[in-house]
Amino acid sequence: MIQLFNVTKSYGKESVALREMTVHIEKGEFTYVTGPSGAGKTTFLSMLYGASKPTRGQILINGINITRMASRQIPYLRRKIGVVFQDFKLLNSRTVYENVAFALEAQGKKRYEVSKKVYKALKEVGLEHRLQRRPIELSGGEQQRIAIARALVVEPLILLADEPSGNLDQEVTLEIMELFKRANARGTTVLLATHDHSLYKRFPKRVLGLEDGRLIMDHQP
Amino acid sequence: MLENIRYFIRRALRNMRQWPVLCSAAILTMAVALATMATFFLVVINIQGLANSWSEEVQVVAYFQSSPPRNQLSPLIRQVEALPDVQQAIFVSKTEALKRFKTRLGEDAGFLDGVSRDLLPASLEITLKAGSHTQEGVGRVVAELKKDSRFDDLRFGQEWLERFENFVDLLKFIGLVLGSFFLFAALFIVSNTIKLTLYTRRDELEIMALVGATKRFIQIPFLLEGALQGFAGGLLSLGFLIVSFKLLLQKGLQTFWLTPVGFNPVFLDGNQQLTLVLCGILLGTLGSLVSLRKFVRL
Repeated sequence: MIQLFNVTKSYGKESVALREMTVHIEKGEFTYVTGPSGAGKTTFLSMLYGASKPTRGQILINGINITRMASRQIPYLRRKIGVVFQDFKLLNSRTVYENVAFALEAQGKKRYEVSKKVYKALKEVGLEHRLQRRPIELSGGEQQRIAIARALVVEPLILLADEPSGNLDQEVTLEIMELFKRANARGTTVLLATHDHSLYKRFPKRVLGLEDGRLIMDHQP
Repeated sequence: MLENIRYFIRRALRNMRQWPVLCSAAILTMAVALATMATFFLVVINIQGLANSWSEEVQVVAYFQSSPPRNQLSPLIRQVEALPDVQQAIFVSKTEALKRFKTRLGEDAGFLDGVSRDLLPASLEITLKAGSHTQEGVGRVVAELKKDSRFDDLRFGQEWLERFENFVDLLKFIGLVLGSFFLFAALFIVSNTIKLTLYTRRDELEIMALVGATKRFIQIPFLLEGALQGFAGGLLSLGFLIVSFKLLLQKGLQTFWLTPVGFNPVFLDGNQQLTLVLCGILLGTLGSLVSLRKFVRL
């Protein structure tokens, strides 16, 4: 599903975010990407959804080389990928419903289809009763669940989560992990960047360890 | 397709409702920019109209060497009036010329008592057609009249015409320079205001790109919004212009010291009013387009 071949990403001569990274992730795999701050986790994920291009090397997603992709093709790649961030990236001027519907509207889905899917996705994360509220009125955990619903509503092939529990307490983190596991069980490939050791000890899966832009560990439980 | 168009319109309207302050700021900025430009344009066309009304006073006076016999007068007038630049030719007899002179002297007319009635020469006062009140037009008429030996002297205010035409040229030049300056200032202010409104909404643009919206899908509602705001700004500026014309400009131009009696200041005609509103739409759309290119990067 995801293949990286000797991928290097550098910002100028001095700053190298990722060095010669080669890794293969199978379809339906659940993988943690770990490492201290500045290890290259965010750079790694951002290249997978086309937010930045590698300086050297190739990235294949579902057999398609995205490093050679024209920028007008990037939106179509992103429709197959759900992304969840530590800071949620929700629109506080919109309702919960509108935030989730946004992802489907951007793909030009019909109105009735949008409402059906949005309701289903919000039910999945347990927020179907908050449809008309605004994200700012909800707790951090609930906001992250909206973000997850927005990522999952498009039924993505890949779910990328960048420190999704960074701002949340232990109890909410477990709830969110449950959502990721359920998505994974339905066949979505999940990549979760975290520096929280307790998370992969509690839910053991494949772990890719990064340090200073290098892949220093690839551990299968 | 239809579903998409409906969605774009819905989103443009919803965005405007959700950001009332930003939306009003953009509309007001465009209205002020357009009103400034249009006021300036209005002043320029009125001053040009004023200048044209001055030039209508230009006429050629051809003095006879000796008064022509009555039977030659009518053919001569017909001949002069047949010239392409001539509107009308009026014969002023020696007696009539003296009478006018006396009227002009007023109380001092007594000086002329006992003076011969032949003192002043008879003449033809030739008024020109609209569009011929130029150095060239006058030049053509004078060249024709010079061929006729019955005329002794020709007066046509050559020096005045030269100065007048230079003045009109200067007016046009100042109009062009100031007009371009206003246009650039308006474009600069409008595009910066729109940039500011988009900057406030950069999260929205980022998230749209993140969930797989194409560039066109992101841009169209914003362009539509810009066009709608430009339309509103255009209408507002037109309203402002009508009010300021009625209250200030009309009076100001009528009491201007060089305004001839009966000069009626003109307002923008239907086409120009439509152009003003269309300029608003164009300004809003282009302003949004330029700013969007900066913010929507995939």
